[in-house]
Amino acid sequence: MSEIRALIVDDSSVMRKIVERSLRQAGLSALVVYEAGSGTDGLDVLKSKQVDLILSDINMPSMDGLEFLRQIRAQNLAPGVPVVMITTESSEEHVKQAILAGAQGYIRKPFTAEQVKERVLSLVNAA
Amino acid sequence: MLLNGVRKAAIATSRGGGGNEMERTMAISLRESVQQVSDPRNLDASVEEVFQMMLGVNCRRDPGTQAKESESVTAVVGFGGLLSGACVFNSGREAAIKIATHLTGMEFDEVDDTVKDGIGEICNMLAGAWKGKVPNLAANCGLSVPAVITGSDYKLHVQAPEFQLHHAYRFEDTSFEVTIVCDGIQ
Repeated sequence: MSEIRALIVDDSSVMRKIVERSLRQAGLSALVVYEAGSGTDGLDVLKSKQVDLILSDINMPSMDGLEFLRQIRAQNLAPGVPVVMITTESSEEHVKQAILAGAQGYIRKPFTAEQVKERVLSLVNAA
Repeated sequence: MLLNGVRKAAIATSRGGGGNEMERTMAISLRESVQQVSDPRNLDASVEEVFQMMLGVNCRRDPGTQAKESESVTAVVGFGGLLSGACVFNSGREAAIKIATHLTGMEFDEVDDTVKDGIGEICNMLAGAWKGKVPNLAANCGLSVPAVITGSDYKLHVQAPEFQLHHAYRFEDTSFEVTIVCDGIQ
């Protein structure tokens, strides 16, 4: 698999590292990771870097993950790039909101590396 | 004071993300399912799930009380919406460092910002897993971002909660406590 550039957005630096580790365990060894601690920072990264995959938390201060997703679409940043939400929110209503905002995947915390592999690899391969 | 802050943040989260659909479902009451919400098995299952999936360790209920340590770490995640209250994680220094080590694969000598961040995330996942056990709660209760307190000689006090679950757990010779405080239910 060729090099994958992933943007990981989470206000927790520990969670960003865990997501990165899970992606590598999922088989994405040729991985370049950009990190952002909020939706606002994530938008700034997307204005200057090209990415192949975006993984974002929902519940974050300043700009939450759903607004981040809406802004990506509104500003036409990263067109065609799959977005996967990683969050503690697990209800169908939250999943529906994420999909309506433009997410292609949804991973509930806590998660295993196997679940990340299952949800992310097909999106990356399809893109 | 702190609980009020996290509770307000959680209420804002539950309102902000939900839109009209969320407001419509607010007509649902948790009163009918209060026994399900306060079922202590939900808390045990949530703790086991988070520790097994994120740390790769088995965790079990500890019937004893946690030994008092000079330095402790407390994380609080507020609930807002149909249920108001908080999920509170508390451990001593040793358990906090051990949890952060399992979570990150890094070694720590002290409770630094990364350890605090990790404990906050554990509390966040415990709160999310716990509310996810009851469908009405999962859809109609928001979570605040975690707040983490470190220090010694402090106590958590909640006046007349609706219900409270307080369990101690043990893994690898260290222990920690998780408390669910519910001070309002609709």
